[in-house]
Amino acid sequence: MPLYKYVLRRVLFAVPLVLGITVVAFLIANAVPADPINANLPQSALGNERLVAAFREKWGLDQPLHVQYLTYLGNLVQGDMGVSIRTNNPVFDDLRQFLPATVELATVAIFVGLLLGVTFGIVSAVWRNSVVDYAVRVLALIGVSFPVFLLALIGLTVLHAQLGWVAGPGRLGFLLSRPPHVTGLFTVDALLAGQWATFRNAASHLVLPSLVLGLYVSGIIARITRSSLLEVLYTDYIRTARAKGQREHAVVLRHGLSNALIPVVTLLGVLYGNLLAGAVLTEAIFAWPGIGRYAYRAATSQDFPAIMGVSMLIAFIYVVANFIVDVLYFFLDPRIRYV
Amino acid sequence: MHMSAVRPASVPRAFLAAAVALFAIVGSSQAQAEEVIVIGHAEITEAYDPAHAFNPTSGMVNRVAYDTLVTFPDADASSIEPLLAASWSISDDGLVYTFTLRDDVAFVSGNPLRAEDVVFSFNRLKNVRAQPSFLADPIDSLEALDERTVAITLVGPRPSFLAELANTAFSVTDAEVVRANGGTDADDAAEADTAMSYLNQNSAGTGAYRLSSWSPQDRTELVRNHDYWGEQPFFDRVIIVNIPEAATQRVALVSGNIDLATDLTPDQVVALEGNDDIGIFLGPGRWTHFLLMNRDADIGGPMADPLVARAVRYALDYQGYRDLWAGSVTPGSNMWIGLAGAFGQDRAMGRDVERARELLAEAGYADGFEVTLQYPDMTFAGVSLSTNAQKIQADLADVGITVRLLPGEVQVALEGYRSGQQGFAYWFWGPDKLDPVDFLEFLPGGKVAGERARWMPEMADDETMAMIERAYQETDDDARLELFTLLQEYAQEHSAFAPFNVPAVQTAFRADIEGYVWHPQWGLDLALLSRSN
Amino acid sequence: MSLITPPATPSTPLTVRRGHRLRHLRRHPEIVVGALVVIAWIVLSLLAPWIAPYHPLEQHIADRLQPPNDTYRLGTDELGRDILSRVLYGGRITIPAGLAVIVINSIFGWLIGAVAGFVGGIWDEIMMRVTELFMAFPTIILAMAVTAALGPDIRNAVIALVIVRWTNYARLTRGLIIEAKTNEYVEAARALGAKNPYLLFRTLLPNSIAPVVVYGSLDIGNAILLFAGLSFLGLGPEPSSPEWGRMISIGIHFFDQWWMWLFPGLAIASLVMAFNFIGDGLRDMLDPRTR
Repeated sequence: MPLYKYVLRRVLFAVPLVLGITVVAFLIANAVPADPINANLPQSALGNERLVAAFREKWGLDQPLHVQYLTYLGNLVQGDMGVSIRTNNPVFDDLRQFLPATVELATVAIFVGLLLGVTFGIVSAVWRNSVVDYAVRVLALIGVSFPVFLLALIGLTVLHAQLGWVAGPGRLGFLLSRPPHVTGLFTVDALLAGQWATFRNAASHLVLPSLVLGLYVSGIIARITRSSLLEVLYTDYIRTARAKGQREHAVVLRHGLSNALIPVVTLLGVLYGNLLAGAVLTEAIFAWPGIGRYAYRAATSQDFPAIMGVSMLIAFIYVVANFIVDVLYFFLDPRIRYV
Repeated sequence: MHMSAVRPASVPRAFLAAAVALFAIVGSSQAQAEEVIVIGHAEITEAYDPAHAFNPTSGMVNRVAYDTLVTFPDADASSIEPLLAASWSISDDGLVYTFTLRDDVAFVSGNPLRAEDVVFSFNRLKNVRAQPSFLADPIDSLEALDERTVAITLVGPRPSFLAELANTAFSVTDAEVVRANGGTDADDAAEADTAMSYLNQNSAGTGAYRLSSWSPQDRTELVRNHDYWGEQPFFDRVIIVNIPEAATQRVALVSGNIDLATDLTPDQVVALEGNDDIGIFLGPGRWTHFLLMNRDADIGGPMADPLVARAVRYALDYQGYRDLWAGSVTPGSNMWIGLAGAFGQDRAMGRDVERARELLAEAGYADGFEVTLQYPDMTFAGVSLSTNAQKIQADLADVGITVRLLPGEVQVALEGYRSGQQGFAYWFWGPDKLDPVDFLEFLPGGKVAGERARWMPEMADDETMAMIERAYQETDDDARLELFTLLQEYAQEHSAFAPFNVPAVQTAFRADIEGYVWHPQWGLDLALLSRSN
Repeated sequence: MSLITPPATPSTPLTVRRGHRLRHLRRHPEIVVGALVVIAWIVLSLLAPWIAPYHPLEQHIADRLQPPNDTYRLGTDELGRDILSRVLYGGRITIPAGLAVIVINSIFGWLIGAVAGFVGGIWDEIMMRVTELFMAFPTIILAMAVTAALGPDIRNAVIALVIVRWTNYARLTRGLIIEAKTNEYVEAARALGAKNPYLLFRTLLPNSIAPVVVYGSLDIGNAILLFAGLSFLGLGPEPSSPEWGRMISIGIHFFDQWWMWLFPGLAIASLVMAFNFIGDGLRDMLDPRTR
């Protein structure tokens, strides 16, 4: 199958999924709260009949459900996700403002997670059932068992408050002003503007939250790397390579790893989507002004439109990330081309 | 270093030129070195537009970004002092106030201050119908008599009017600039005025500083107004960073990342006392923490019953709150303890669980009831509302009232509170007017009582309403004192509120910061701060 | 923290083969260790009213913020409540909440999955698509949305977790039923004239229920972490509750007073780790490839 056909097919899969996401979001928005007006308007507006009527009309609340959905979809296509109860801004504008911070954090965190996870996985698989293997597996278990907010608090207390090794909450030191906006990623923008001090500072603020989040995914990556590497190590061609007298680590790295990493790559899209979600707890602790903190603040203030906006955004990113992974997969796994 | 050993004549000209150039660069960069102060603060504001903003953070910022006609001394409210008004006169019937403005004042835009700006600012405050607009209610009309004279006619005599004018809501704004950015002072300003977004990012005042940017919930920056008519402040730039958590403020202060922390807890301040790098200010507090019990039975439920409200006042363990917040006192009413005649701790209520139970039984709730307590989830000036709410819950459990806690995000909770939708709520109050009349907000006919607790004039007897009316207008000090004493006694018996604690103010700063003065109206005056060498 | 929804829900159904389970326990000490820790926590929570030194809500203002000492073994919090007592009582909230999520999910997910798998055709197709949609949503954020809409309390947090996690159970059951349908004994029952509902409940139920129970028991750790996460965010039990996640959330304000949040944190971590030990052990035991 040629690439364009494959991509086209994936797009065709993705479209109904995105549509379906809007259906689920719509259903939750309408089915779960006792009264959508209560959930979507600030308390002070509830007594104002004019505002309530305007809201009813805008979202077609007097219409049958399927018409309501179409109205909802129509508003959505125009980038209208409603107005945040807390900030009084359109949710869409808020999300655009807060997304870059989260993307920056999640991207660094996934690299940290990959670095730690793959290393742990290899070590664990090569020295299977040794002390090292057990140590790594216990470490991976801690990664998936410790609440991410506990890791964050321990990191903050020990590495920041006690030792002062890394920067604390926030994205940037108090004295520095933001780098000129290009991508919204402070590290990238600072580099583009040639502001070294700002770059170093922004990077230092990234260390702790990305380490915490990275550790949290590294456990999963390590497990997958380990088991898929073990599987690969028992396949015939590795045996052949071994039989040809190649040294063990050469075998592992040259032949095993590239194949063993395919499942890890497959999972990257899912992991990235989950990292964005896991960022909620991390961002809440690190005062990281991203969509996670936005969602947290929205949830604690029963800001329903805002939180539905975040869910939809992350679900959408999840679909896109998996789409990209699928395309990557096309290059990684030759078998697909012959399907 | 080696240069001194070399005779000047042997120094190559080029080298000398380079040295001079280098010196010039160093010299100029020294001249450019800014004096910056970083304030760690738990931000609570929805705006900086003086006609909309009405909260602690905006009070602090607008105090230095704008000027009012009159003001108080730096540290107290003992007298009224001129600011933008050089002088003023009051008509014999107490209805017309005529102010003569200074002639040397210009706005940050360069426009000179004119009487018309005052008229515009006060009319706009009144007509945007925002939170602080009620302060302009006593004003009947405004007139610019000439470029520098403005006459304000009141609806009725109001001895507290000058003290009220010192509130930053009465900041004088640049009419031309505000109009150019969508502002209007017309009757329909509530809908037509769109200047708020501009004024949230830029100030249009005459103050020592100019608001240069605001990123909500993140940081606020002020820069020096080089053309300020008064004394130039020490710092070129003031950065106020939002640090909601006291623990984080403490770490930032101790590590020197911030110069001043406004919201440390009393415990943290005590722990910092031995630290040579840190200076500490302790003083009597401005904020009265209180419970609100809505008198509208549809909203307040059992709490709407005056007997229940009274039972709640007997149920609270006042001593316990004093133990929680070192240096705090128990107020005797919702009248700020710093005001003349306010009931202090000596006249405060005490806990009486038996009495509370009797009152509940009398109201028909012998077996108690369940109620939800709403409060903003925040730490303000070092006092965690969540901690107090959990204590309230425990106190009321002792008399049979089961309290469910419902914390909310500050902005959202504020909306519910201000629109009177909360049945049982926990809030704090700092006086808008440093005058006993501020207390009348908490009695029938007042803003807080009426709009927020739905405690309406028709719920009180005529005698009390007459007394409240007199309290607004009485000018004789002794008669005033007597009136306010009676009203506070009335409140202890009948009020829809239960004031329970006034925490102390505690601020910690780097030891090199000087000039910290705390004022009961605007809190910290940023323009008075400086750094020693 | 396992906010991660397994990407392809247990693709290899966990088949429980009888007979050699106990023999393998010796080779998987982690299962035994995990089980012991879990049992210990259950016993401690059940006995909390008798063994806790104080009531979890009892305030001692004069003794607040004390580090661990002889009177308060694990210290006190900002209102002078005994941390040890609160940690012990906390298990009485978190463990039942985690269990409730799992039990409801097992029943609800099983029903949907079983019907889809059994009826097949268009219903199966719809169910699969719907589960895919739900899985595209980030677990914790969807749960936050649901609790935000319903209002924060324990019951609503449990409902939220059911809404976001039922899909795994449904997909697992569906796979099992489809596999079982082809079995000879089902064919035989059908040949003997068994009606559909009878088939579903009498023959397919027992054969699909064991793996779902096993999967559920492995999933408790995740459910507990998610519940604690919601409660950490203020979307679970109310502020004074001794729930572990709730107790940790105060740490943002008191990171110097580590005992206030570290002990409830270790309580969650040890419990979840114990469940994961069991899960890992079982997985290894049943899936020979990774042995």
